[in-house]
Amino acid sequence: MAGLEELEGLAAEYVLGTLDRAEREEVEQTLPKESELAELVAAWERRLIPLALALEPVTAPPYIRGKVLAAISGGAADPNNVVALERRANRWRGAAVAAWALAAALAGVILFRPLDVPEGSRYVAVLQSEGPGPAFIASIDLASGTISVRPVSAITPTGKSYELWALGAGREKPQSLGVIAANFRIPSEKLGKIDSAALGDTVFAVSLEPEGGSPTGQPTGPVMFTGKLVATE
Amino acid sequence: MSTFSEPVDELGPLLARIANGDRPAFGRLYDLTSNRLFAVVRRVLRRPELAEEALQEAFVRVWQKANLYDAAQARPMAWLAAIARNQAIDLRRRSSERVGEELDEENIGGNGQAAVLPEADLALELKRLRDCLSRLPENRQDMVLLAYYQGWSREELAAQFRRPVTTVKTLLRRSLITLRECLDGRA
Repeated sequence: MAGLEELEGLAAEYVLGTLDRAEREEVEQTLPKESELAELVAAWERRLIPLALALEPVTAPPYIRGKVLAAISGGAADPNNVVALERRANRWRGAAVAAWALAAALAGVILFRPLDVPEGSRYVAVLQSEGPGPAFIASIDLASGTISVRPVSAITPTGKSYELWALGAGREKPQSLGVIAANFRIPSEKLGKIDSAALGDTVFAVSLEPEGGSPTGQPTGPVMFTGKLVATE
Repeated sequence: MSTFSEPVDELGPLLARIANGDRPAFGRLYDLTSNRLFAVVRRVLRRPELAEEALQEAFVRVWQKANLYDAAQARPMAWLAAIARNQAIDLRRRSSERVGEELDEENIGGNGQAAVLPEADLALELKRLRDCLSRLPENRQDMVLLAYYQGWSREELAAQFRRPVTTVKTLLRRSLITLRECLDGRA
């Protein structure tokens, strides 16, 4: 436990904005657990916030409003939605998970956070569409070399399959991670192609394919979910 | 008493409704506050697409955290602005936006961008804060303002001011303590 002076300095610099990424993440993960730090941060927010409130308002582009409302739609009414999934995720990892909820640009909201120790070897992604569509939880365990994808509220249309893809991070084309079924797991030889260092740049997407998966090796059906993974150290 | 034309008093009740999942209330909150929050994130993130992303993230976070809002800790607008700033700075760190960024002259020196006529109590607090800031040596004022408005890290400040990172850290912390003592009335 840091001394009071160090804690005060950390809180002040957190609010001021000068901490680096790792230090900020540490503060943000500690805040819900340490009331002393939380009070120091709150006091610093109160001291400095007049500067922010004095700024001249700037109108945001009008389309942002729709994106924000779309990102929260399905957020509270449907039990199989992002908020409910976040609560589940929070039990695994604490309130910091919510900090990473992104209003993903187009199709979905993905959470991607390491699970448990050892740090950086297990991850979870929550995939959710904007509408009342299906949702998945993808767990990646780098130590055992497996990905498992759990359909949470997914109803697979008759004669169709959902297929998971990895995009970006140096891939020229979408890389199939396999067809999603109940208790679906992807074996390590497939996972070996995911460089853990590039996880943060990897985008997950789920497409709707003919039963058994894409016949071409590339997505042929509509992409139901997509989002950039947020990697943490 | 608030003399500010914006219906600030509406924000507290709106947050309470949002905590219960009230989407129309959320839409209203967006309409009332997005221009002020966008002003905050746009300072930190110069690339428009990043500023827009931060604004979206901030509002999603407001939706998720409205139940944690504590009126005893912060006024609604202050709480919202803090969320937006933190989202923007986090995104700035993740994206390492800094390349080719120039000093924003309007943020340093006079720090005089009170273009909004603020509500009376805010105006008082702002005046006090600026008085206390003005007691810092000039380059330390600049450091504090660059950090607060533009989200510059110690490393970025060190490069700009040509000082070692450890020195910048020491200067920042010393400045903040001086500021706190001034604001809390001990200097």
